[in-house]
Amino acid sequence: MRIGLKSVLVLVCGCHTDCSPDPEVARRKRAPQNDVQVARRLDFHRDVQPVLANHCFSCHGPDKKKNEADVRLDVRESLLSLVAPGSAQQSELVTRVTSRDPDAMMPPPHTAGRLAEAELAIISRWINEGASYPRHWAFVPPVLPPLPAVADKSWPRNEIDYFILNKLEQHGLRPTRPTDRTALLRRMTLDVTGLPPTPDEVDSFVAASADDAYETRIDQCFRSDRYGEHMAESWLHASRYADSHGYQNDEGRYMHVWRDWVILAFNANQPYDRFITEQIAGDLLPQATLTQQIATGFFRNHRINIEGGVIRKEWYVENIMERVDALGTVFLGLTVSCGRCHSHKFDPISQDEFYQLFAYFNNVPEWGVGNANNPPFVSVPESWPRLSSGENQFVEPDPIKLQKNIDGAGLMVPQAGGPKTVMVMHERKSRRPTFKLTDGRYDSADRSVELQPGVPAFLQLSPDAAPRDRLELARWLTDHRHPLTARVAVNRIWQHFFGLGLVKTSEDFGTQGDPPSHPQLLDWLAVQFVRHDWDVQWIQKKILTSATYRQASAFDAATTQKDPENRLLSRGPRQRLSAFSLRDQALFVSGLLVEQLGGPPVKPYMPPKLWQGFSRATYQQEHGDSLYRRSVYTFWRRTTPPPTMIEFNAPDRETCSVRRDPSNTPQQALALMNNVTFVEASRFLAERMIRAGGDSPAEQLAFGFRLATCRQPRPPELAVLVDAHHTFEDQFENQPDRCRLLLSVGEKPRDETIDPHQHAAMTMAASLVLNLDETITKD
Amino acid sequence: MPHRLFSPERRRFLGTASLGIGGGALASLLQKDCPTVAASPRSAGTHQPGPHFPARAKRVIYLFQSGGPSQIDLFDFKPILKEREGQVVPPSVYPDERKTTMTSAQKKFSTAPNISPFRQRGKSGQWVSDLLPHLADTADDLCVVRSMQTHAINHDPAITFFLTGAEVPGRPSMGAWVSYGLGSENENLPTFLVLNSFGSIEKPQPLYNRLWGNGFLPSHHQGIMFRRFGQAVLNIDDPPGVTRATRQAMLEQLQRLNRVKLEEVGDPEIQTRISQYEMAFRMQMTVPQLLDFSDEPAHALKKYGPEVQQKGSYAHNCLVARRLVERDVRFIQLFHRGWDQHLNLNRDLPLQCSDVDQPTAALISDLKERDMLRDTLVIWGGEFGRTVYSQGDLSIPDYGRDHHPDCFTVLLAGGGVRAGLSYGATDDFSVRVTEQPMHVHDLQATILHLLGIDHERLTFRSQGRDFRLTDVHGNVVTDLLS
Repeated sequence: MRIGLKSVLVLVCGCHTDCSPDPEVARRKRAPQNDVQVARRLDFHRDVQPVLANHCFSCHGPDKKKNEADVRLDVRESLLSLVAPGSAQQSELVTRVTSRDPDAMMPPPHTAGRLAEAELAIISRWINEGASYPRHWAFVPPVLPPLPAVADKSWPRNEIDYFILNKLEQHGLRPTRPTDRTALLRRMTLDVTGLPPTPDEVDSFVAASADDAYETRIDQCFRSDRYGEHMAESWLHASRYADSHGYQNDEGRYMHVWRDWVILAFNANQPYDRFITEQIAGDLLPQATLTQQIATGFFRNHRINIEGGVIRKEWYVENIMERVDALGTVFLGLTVSCGRCHSHKFDPISQDEFYQLFAYFNNVPEWGVGNANNPPFVSVPESWPRLSSGENQFVEPDPIKLQKNIDGAGLMVPQAGGPKTVMVMHERKSRRPTFKLTDGRYDSADRSVELQPGVPAFLQLSPDAAPRDRLELARWLTDHRHPLTARVAVNRIWQHFFGLGLVKTSEDFGTQGDPPSHPQLLDWLAVQFVRHDWDVQWIQKKILTSATYRQASAFDAATTQKDPENRLLSRGPRQRLSAFSLRDQALFVSGLLVEQLGGPPVKPYMPPKLWQGFSRATYQQEHGDSLYRRSVYTFWRRTTPPPTMIEFNAPDRETCSVRRDPSNTPQQALALMNNVTFVEASRFLAERMIRAGGDSPAEQLAFGFRLATCRQPRPPELAVLVDAHHTFEDQFENQPDRCRLLLSVGEKPRDETIDPHQHAAMTMAASLVLNLDETITKD
Repeated sequence: MPHRLFSPERRRFLGTASLGIGGGALASLLQKDCPTVAASPRSAGTHQPGPHFPARAKRVIYLFQSGGPSQIDLFDFKPILKEREGQVVPPSVYPDERKTTMTSAQKKFSTAPNISPFRQRGKSGQWVSDLLPHLADTADDLCVVRSMQTHAINHDPAITFFLTGAEVPGRPSMGAWVSYGLGSENENLPTFLVLNSFGSIEKPQPLYNRLWGNGFLPSHHQGIMFRRFGQAVLNIDDPPGVTRATRQAMLEQLQRLNRVKLEEVGDPEIQTRISQYEMAFRMQMTVPQLLDFSDEPAHALKKYGPEVQQKGSYAHNCLVARRLVERDVRFIQLFHRGWDQHLNLNRDLPLQCSDVDQPTAALISDLKERDMLRDTLVIWGGEFGRTVYSQGDLSIPDYGRDHHPDCFTVLLAGGGVRAGLSYGATDDFSVRVTEQPMHVHDLQATILHLLGIDHERLTFRSQGRDFRLTDVHGNVVTDLLS
């Protein structure tokens, strides 16, 4: 076996833009971790391919024009022709990369680098281990696995538990005890609605004797409007929903009708296949309704640039790039955007195929830049969302009408849609041709070949029928044979409840993503999801009722050693609440929360001159109910997002974000102690404690503790609270001015019948309760 | 003390804390003496950021001049322009280039000479405009790079490119990378602080959160903003009516209850939270002292000019920056906006210069007097330059200049760069670089190098690949090193 001619290669000195990993670091980071993986065999895609990609692909890779000597190290057969499985020494590949002969060595002498010792070792070990080159797991359609055997048959409550227990037993671990009913109810209610249960709900649940009391309670939570408001949070992050355009001046847009569509779709438990079909191609459905048209706002949520001086063709292209990125990140769990400038280095997506995906979104009658809502947009009747059947009809959006922009000498912009409109997807009558853009640049189209819409070859479900438009693209995604859609979706659902997905890299199921901790469970969930007609609540209930989910969250020293990240699920989930839930919970337990579904975004408290400090825009804080709506309705300005939300790890919504990153910082402590929302909530929680908690401060303190954590404080805990309250009473004694100052934080007037001294002292105690680790944690 | 990184106790401690991010945050608290502790939650214990070699600079003050200061009028002196004033810039010099739509429809591209005389300054003989007399006095401390280049032609992508290494959002900012790579040297203040100045120009160009954001890095690496309006740091002030004694009492009892919880569930995240509340309390003590200039002698204040006591002025922020580096804050990102002279170059550019001239010079000389310029890198510059041709009719006084990405000037001082160096050259019209081009990624690579970081090795894995500040580009410009 010869690798063909000499000097076959120019070494990869980095791609034009993006994707050249540092193999040293990459490998170090992929080193076996102490939890799940134990001295396992090398995985071709994870371990070997990055080395080849980095050193060899630029000449022996997917970019045909450069391919040398007909050797394709990215193609299975071609690579294996250079390999003698079991014997690195007899493999041409190894001979070449270890050779010192300038005519034979690879990469050739005129190029910059040689393989590092460690990289050579990887290649040799892989060959010696048999040179296994399987298809990447996530690209093979899932099949329903049998339930694995477990030793302890008494533990599993449903199918999920067999997979979890099987793995725990393999690692010599046991699941922990079930959590108590109070904690379970709080955990479940927070997970499903984003708010904690009330003391009455806790009492009746703890007292309930019926076997199905827990399931009944889950169903009640599913039926609550709060469910959709909470589920929408992560979907809005994923789809980078915002109330502004992003970029330079970051002016406003009106997409809240689409946001309401999401909440309503969740509340209706719309099957996931319909949920995404309507968002991808609602406008193309037969007899499409206005509601289905509104759903397509998903692909208009990207940023739009209207800086004076923009070149509109550049931004027209950029907008479509953002749509392809959303398709990849949210639905496919693939980093397809690498293909913008060059063929993907690790996953089988060529640059041509990237632009074939681009073609699906390149046929919208749009201009690329513009103010407020950009065409195509449709007017939404006043009655939204309660449309009459006459109103709920497909609307042909107005064509573009250009006018001169106020800001920018030569720039023409289309008509701007106002607050009663929403941006939607629409198809042009005649198809706009799509060309590959060299290096991804808007002004460098390769016009030699016109590209047709199409999906990457490795994901084609039938050999001859490529989806031709967005509707067929949606049908392809939701085909039961699709290897990714269901897996990606159930993984995000899993992540919602456990903090980490079964695949940790929820945005990347490609060869460089993290392998699943429980591959069979992932497949079981994915297949069952499709079989149950993509019923989101069915999957969620399966998780919620599992013994896995119902475990206590306490750490056991010995188990923690083996399972520090809880990837094996040897204990229940324990995570700090999301930014939205933290604020909503504080408003809820203090009685301030104003629950009202949907509508235009609201502008609650923000730091002074939040926008003016950085831009030409002015934040006009609103008053009254707007201060106390759920966080999902807070106005989201991309370049200046609500700072407290950002401090608690909400993504900025400039790009699609499908993973949570919960940090733990001093800024968070400062926010919970001092931010006006949390201080005002403490004031009103104190009022509730004083008015409804009982006669003695101890009873009132216990009541407040219970509102926040759902449980009674134990005597030593109550003693601390009483002690603290005493101190606060002393400190506010004969300090009417200080009491008045504290009791004036926030706009809602206090109950003047309460003694200000008592109220101030109790406010500090309430603030203490709202700062407790247990309060801010789903436990 | 890298050996501590490998101590088994430490590894286990951080390892068990790694579910959260707590691990990282805790590490950043603990790492005063241990700068190599991994601060990344997703890779705690498996990834070792910098320093990769001994640093020349321990800290950075980046004085970002947002809007695009005119190199032609400030540093890149082109005598020929005066002779050709009003004549059309030859197409051979300015061919059919990418122009913004601010001027692409313009009928005529007239040569606009520098609006103020230039002079050679100091022993080094650096050319500096008379618009910057104080800064000119520091010429021998400056390294003037006249051959900067960028890709982007609009503000948003251009600033984003400068400060995150990519035009598209989602990447960590330079300060966040440095925080991730080197950690903190201060137990009472964040590692990465941001200052935003107001100036003479009304309604200057906006800034965006991502310019000091953490991108895909753990969020404790994001820059903390010192604010002009309201509280100096978000939520740093106790609520009205709450004294320090009350806050302390509340915290003590809170910590007691959190420790009970820690005993009960053993989640190391609780331990981290307890530490973070303590750090929050210390920050509350530190920040007011930091911003209280009463310990500065009168002559020191005077040096920064009349606006130094005005909160949020560039002068005020320069002094805050000096006080921050004295407290070993690692990275200070200061913004001064208003350099976008599409119009009224003659009126507005001198105003901008008067905002920044004296305070910048004072900061450099102050650091020098304190022997801190040696290991503090000061950077001054914007996201692109400006066109040699006028935007608008040159004969009408309100003309300006459009954006120009192909060449512009950035100043460096201290932190191991060669003082008094003029680096790079441009053609007679300041349109293209003719010698020693320095791309944005080269500047970033060089900044990291000065901090002891190999820009190719400071990486973080996201979306299946290892990202770095310099993408796959960037060369350290060793000619700049002292």
